[in-house]
Amino acid sequence: MTFEEMPDEWKEWLDLTPIERFRESEKLLAQYVALGGSLDPDPDPTSPFYDPETSSKGVAYGRPGLRILRRGAV
Amino acid sequence: MGGQACVFYGAAQFSKDVDFLLLASEQNFSRLLAALSELKATRIAVPRFDPALLARGHAVHFRCHEGAAAGLRVDIMTQLRDLPGFEELWEKRTTINDENGETFDLMAIEHLVQAKKTQRDKDWPMIDALVEGHYHVFAEAPTPERTIFWLNESRTPERLISLCTRFPQQAIAQLAKRPLLALAQSGESDQLREALDIEMRAEQAKDRAYWAPLKVQLQAFRHDERRGADQDRA
Repeated sequence: MTFEEMPDEWKEWLDLTPIERFRESEKLLAQYVALGGSLDPDPDPTSPFYDPETSSKGVAYGRPGLRILRRGAV
Repeated sequence: MGGQACVFYGAAQFSKDVDFLLLASEQNFSRLLAALSELKATRIAVPRFDPALLARGHAVHFRCHEGAAAGLRVDIMTQLRDLPGFEELWEKRTTINDENGETFDLMAIEHLVQAKKTQRDKDWPMIDALVEGHYHVFAEAPTPERTIFWLNESRTPERLISLCTRFPQQAIAQLAKRPLLALAQSGESDQLREALDIEMRAEQAKDRAYWAPLKVQLQAFRHDERRGADQDRA
């Protein structure tokens, strides 16, 4: 995707300085953790480090307290 | 290096871990272990911490348990596939200072792009974003090095076609290194997209071949550790 095709949010992100991005990233990570987001790696069978015996299936929306109760047909 | 470097370069919004590429020296290993001890970090996967295994290309994975770093994963490597040795990587690094004078040393973007050419599907969109972000910042200040970087690493058909129009002589000069530029020169975007896909799959195959013996070792390490744990329980 070229810059011109990117969503506005990404264009704004790229227009920040590297340090501004780092600071914003720190805030995003803090919010993610505060909301219960997991710092475990996402299960990735294409990774050489993937171990099917220890890798979790991933929790719903990254939060350990959430379970999927129903899904749509797709 | 890794996701945090991608944040600095604009290709990611946050990363759930920190990846360090380390100069393999006794002094550095001592300092690393002291820092990990301060963070109460524990190893969370095979292999064990062993400089010889790092030299073979393995990564060692830790999780911190102290203070603000609690829960954070830290991955350590000293070797990366198809990248130069640490001295050259360090020489060409990007250094950024913040307003308090704190310094961040990042892998140079051309090396980071190379490091992202892995078998993992999730790394390839990151390459697109890294190169496109770099072009956005420096498009009005092209240098021979930047132009060669864009021509060799861009993965967006539309960008490659526009680069070949803008830098026709440099594109011809890179044809031997990247034959798919011929398709960009003639503006054949559908064929170019297919060629980019073939290029990606070839690089993923190289990465799988590189990791194949290391994965066999990892499996043996896991087996040994599980057997050891079973014996401890017995």
